Amino acid sequence: MSDVRLQIKNVSKTFGITKAVQDVSFDVMKGEVHALIGENGSGKSTLTNMLTGIYTIGGGTFILDGKEVRPKNQVEANNEGISIIVQELGTLSGLTVAENIFLGHEDMFVKAGVKNTNAMNRKATELLEQYGFGRIKAAAMIDDYNFEDRKLIEIVKATYFNPKVVVIDETTTALSQEGREVLYKHMNRIRSEGNTVIFISHDLPEVLAKSDSITVLRDGVYIDTVKSAEVTEDDLKKLMVGREVSGAYYRADYDEEVSDEVVLSVKGVTVPGQIKDVSFELHKGEILGFGGLSESGMHEVGKAIFGASFDRQGEVRLADGTEINDIPTAIKSSIAYTSKNRDTESVVMNQGIGDNICLPSLDSLLNGFKLLTKKKMREFSNKYAEEMSVKMVNVDQFVSDLSGGNKQKVVLARWIGRDADILVLDSPTRGIDIKVKQDIYQLMDRMRKSGKSIIMISEELMELIGMCDRIIIMKDGEISGELSRSRDMDENSLIAKMV
Amino acid sequence: METTKAVSKEKEMKMLSVVSTLRAVLPIVGLVVVFILFNVLTAGRMIQNMKLVLSQVYVTLIAAMGVFFIMTMGGLDFSQGSIMGMASIVICAVSKTSIPLGIIMGILTGAAIGTINGFFHVKMKIKSFIVTICTMFLFRGLIKYLASDAPVGGSALLMNYDTTAFKLIITVIVLLIGFIAFNYTKFGIYLKAIGAGEMAAKFAGIRTGKMKFLIYVLSGAITGFAAFINVIKVGSATTNSGNQLETQILIALVLGGMPISGGAKVRFMNIVVGSLLYIVLSSGLTMMGLDTQTMQLIQGVVFLVFVAVFADRESLQVIK
Repeated sequence: MSDVRLQIKNVSKTFGITKAVQDVSFDVMKGEVHALIGENGSGKSTLTNMLTGIYTIGGGTFILDGKEVRPKNQVEANNEGISIIVQELGTLSGLTVAENIFLGHEDMFVKAGVKNTNAMNRKATELLEQYGFGRIKAAAMIDDYNFEDRKLIEIVKATYFNPKVVVIDETTTALSQEGREVLYKHMNRIRSEGNTVIFISHDLPEVLAKSDSITVLRDGVYIDTVKSAEVTEDDLKKLMVGREVSGAYYRADYDEEVSDEVVLSVKGVTVPGQIKDVSFELHKGEILGFGGLSESGMHEVGKAIFGASFDRQGEVRLADGTEINDIPTAIKSSIAYTSKNRDTESVVMNQGIGDNICLPSLDSLLNGFKLLTKKKMREFSNKYAEEMSVKMVNVDQFVSDLSGGNKQKVVLARWIGRDADILVLDSPTRGIDIKVKQDIYQLMDRMRKSGKSIIMISEELMELIGMCDRIIIMKDGEISGELSRSRDMDENSLIAKMV
Repeated sequence: METTKAVSKEKEMKMLSVVSTLRAVLPIVGLVVVFILFNVLTAGRMIQNMKLVLSQVYVTLIAAMGVFFIMTMGGLDFSQGSIMGMASIVICAVSKTSIPLGIIMGILTGAAIGTINGFFHVKMKIKSFIVTICTMFLFRGLIKYLASDAPVGGSALLMNYDTTAFKLIITVIVLLIGFIAFNYTKFGIYLKAIGAGEMAAKFAGIRTGKMKFLIYVLSGAITGFAAFINVIKVGSATTNSGNQLETQILIALVLGGMPISGGAKVRFMNIVVGSLLYIVLSSGLTMMGLDTQTMQLIQGVVFLVFVAVFADRESLQVIK
């Protein structure tokens, strides 16, 4: 048993009414990439957050190299040889790159009570160069770097001290292809040094390709641990969902003609520092994809169409001549938008599901006295929440209680309730499990068939290829190419235009 | 393990809703308890002087409504006392010419100060509590300048309006309008949405900047109107007119169960219950013979305890 690095024994955790993790036990070996998969809310992050001191341990024990660990915070976890790269931003604004890397471990550079900033910066520069991120300056403020670079800095922060276990929690969804390759390289390095990576991801092909063994959780319960080499993607889906995943995933059709009718035309749209001279047309019943690296400007295109860009030049015009320059006009003109930043820009977190769904449709819910009644709002939100099969107790429940997939369903229910004709969906399946992903793809297909037009912005090349009639590729803020739907399209033909 | 599993999710949800109902009724229970307590302690003197006790509540009730709207959006307003003072001076001065014009000028004065608050908060993007503390000092200074030699006297006819029936009817009308607007129009839902998540509210089509600006103007106007009720009671405006009104309102709203960070959990009832609870508490303490200093001390402690118990820590960071 000397190969066992980490034993997880009967670990549990409850949050109020939710049993997030129930009596989970399994072993993680030395020198392996051990993937942890499961649908949203299956307890993956909760489990690793207990291991890394972000949450307190609810019950059970973690045994690292034969010794129980019970870290109270991330710094203690680091001292035990455990670190984590979190899903969202794990670096602190207002500090320098070096200060972030050595956060909680400044003592290394303290002599007689005084911090030697130069020594810290020198050490950080050395590390950054060693990792191949020489262009990042140790003394610069972390805020000078974008999301992607900050993730790279986190890789350094989490691994420079050769921890025995590194948890990587759904980091890849936020990274571009380039960033992912860097991350994979370091995962391999950690493994080859005999240390262990616990890798959480929703991307099953990625999990199969990059991990040695895979543990599946479902509803907080341990299901199985399998060897990556011995299973297929479908086996994993079956384990995660608990039944055979039936039906088509993406669209099945290939030769349908898209209508010539233009519903939205974008001409010469520029947002300083983000996108340059972007022009395209969207047709009725079309799914138009936007692909590119995260920083290519494609996310800004979605905002620009919805009137949400700051300081936009150029023209966004509907078929009837209406110009879209602000959000209220966009919504009035039947345009819907789901943001990549779901929690801050799509759902009002500390508000009920019902109000969230009703928000843009309030005018249509007024009664004879031009007043809104709770009853009518309730009926309306219930109808669309049920149509989207949102998992909830009732519509009064706060959105902040819901999982990522359910939040996205609430956002979609809102726009279906508004009966929007043009949907701008930015990263609609980001961080969402297979079952809900499938629901969303099928919904998009139904909407397309009923004559709605969809713009889908995504970093997942496979879903763009699977769902779109046309794909526009963005690079450095400009359109770098366009591809039409075909069976032969593969990721490489897209990547070629992206980088 | 088995027994905990046996507790079904629905049952637990029910328990949670019991807790939230408890929170909702606690201020009402508190009001009844405090009321009975002071009646016992003062040997029934409070109930005998109910008219006097209530005569102080109208101004607080009306002015608190404006602040309630602001706090629902996650903002704060400390300038209410100075707005009250300025509007009182203007109403008194103008009332010698025409009382209706005085009311209008009072509302406009309040709206003007609200506009200043709104401009610096929304256009200049300064936190609301900093802006309103600045306007609080600025206009308190101006009030002292205008009224320190002698109180600004109003028309003698002002006193004619000082009847319980008039004040009660006016207060009920104002609150009723506010109640309908808050619970049965877009207005209330938009305010709550801004308090619960401003960016997302904006992406749902709410003109958040405009809304915030207008609420500061509205709140100023409401307090400017409340100043009329204030001056008919005393007939003149002094340097102390409206002093500490902002603290009274804040304490009243928090006592009424209002979450200090606003958002979806606020209830219109918070204004009424809170204002009554505050007035009963402060007049009760006065009747007990406590001096102002001790009363301030007690109010401070009560306020701190309520905020500590009721504050929703997760959303405290959204106070704008």
